[in-house]
Amino acid sequence: MSERRPQTESELVEHVRALEEPAPAALHARIDALVAEHAARPARPSLGARLRARPAALGAGVAALAALAAVLVLSVAGGGSSPALSWRTASALTLRGATSAAPAVGRDRAQLTAAVGGVAFPNWEPAFGWRTTGVRSDSVGGRQVTTVFYADGRGQRIGYAIAAGPAPGVSGGTIAWREGAPYRMLSAGAVQAVVWQRGGHMCVLAGRGVDGATLLRLASWSDDARAS
Amino acid sequence: MRNLDPQSLTQHVDRLYRAAWALCGSREDAEDLVQETFARVLSRPRVLSGDDELHYLMRALRNTFFTARRTAGRRPVTVATLEDVAAEDPRPMGRPERALEVQELYATIAELPEDFRLALVAVDVLGLSYREAAHALRVREATITTRLFRARKQLSARLAPEPPAPPASDGVQREGNSLRAVFSDGRER
Repeated sequence: MSERRPQTESELVEHVRALEEPAPAALHARIDALVAEHAARPARPSLGARLRARPAALGAGVAALAALAAVLVLSVAGGGSSPALSWRTASALTLRGATSAAPAVGRDRAQLTAAVGGVAFPNWEPAFGWRTTGVRSDSVGGRQVTTVFYADGRGQRIGYAIAAGPAPGVSGGTIAWREGAPYRMLSAGAVQAVVWQRGGHMCVLAGRGVDGATLLRLASWSDDARAS
Repeated sequence: MRNLDPQSLTQHVDRLYRAAWALCGSREDAEDLVQETFARVLSRPRVLSGDDELHYLMRALRNTFFTARRTAGRRPVTVATLEDVAAEDPRPMGRPERALEVQELYATIAELPEDFRLALVAVDVLGLSYREAAHALRVREATITTRLFRARKQLSARLAPEPPAPPASDGVQREGNSLRAVFSDGRER
């Protein structure tokens, strides 16, 4: 097969050391975005520096620990798990990597076979060129969240998350109306997101470096496809 | 002692990705692991005791890997039906022969016992010195030496081709053995 296949242990070690397989461009982009987001945050001194600067902060720290312990006790007593499902936790999932291969396209070509509670994910490739790249499934606050990932020809990447069960309340941002349905436009750092409901489920479409108008166009198109 | 400079971390993405791939055995999990590691490291100010941040990242990668594995063990498993999951992208990759080789190698490393795997990933994949690897994995340098020795032996044994069977009594070599011989030597016999 390959003449470069090592024949001895020392050759094998050299081979392992010589591998220069680069990380995918999409991963580099996501790391760059994380670092940029970190740089945009206001500088926060380390805990030690804060305690040295303000001895009174020690008392506040103890109080905060006590409060955290109380929350944990209440959480355990209530059988709950954190973090709770919200548009932020769902959009965080859209920035992570896929764990399974892309879902197949459905018979009508407008939807994928992947669905949550009968609500199918859209197939945007024919209309917009965004093809599916993978899917992941997570449990957030005891709720199942399925996320399908899409990428366009320029390497941009977005994630579409649908949470099982009733949609949680969402506030903030601005609301855009399409075909009588409200779409909430939100952002967190460099991440743009559109949050809306389909079949009573919360849907979150989010990505880094993708403008809100594009996300809104895609999100509202999926509703059209579902209605047709 | 100095503060970690987040901007300097981006130069290590490629090496950390290879280390993560060898730890997990799959490209997708490696991407997830590297992103999660950076997100953790950047979540609050970090103070380094040495000059090089690479061994610090190796320790963060290892901790994130263990945490992710524990979390995955508690998470309900979603089973996709065959109807839901399409085959992998059928388009040919740029250099399929090389890609296969890298995947095979890292997948084999990922099958090594955990301690051996971590030592091999730290030294041979990530390129740390024995001292840095010992620091990153919180073990003695002598322990790294021993584990690395055994890891290399095991990896070599697992990747070694099976020895060709002796020729059949009728003097005709069987087809399977012949292919194996070509594969291992890179030339026909």
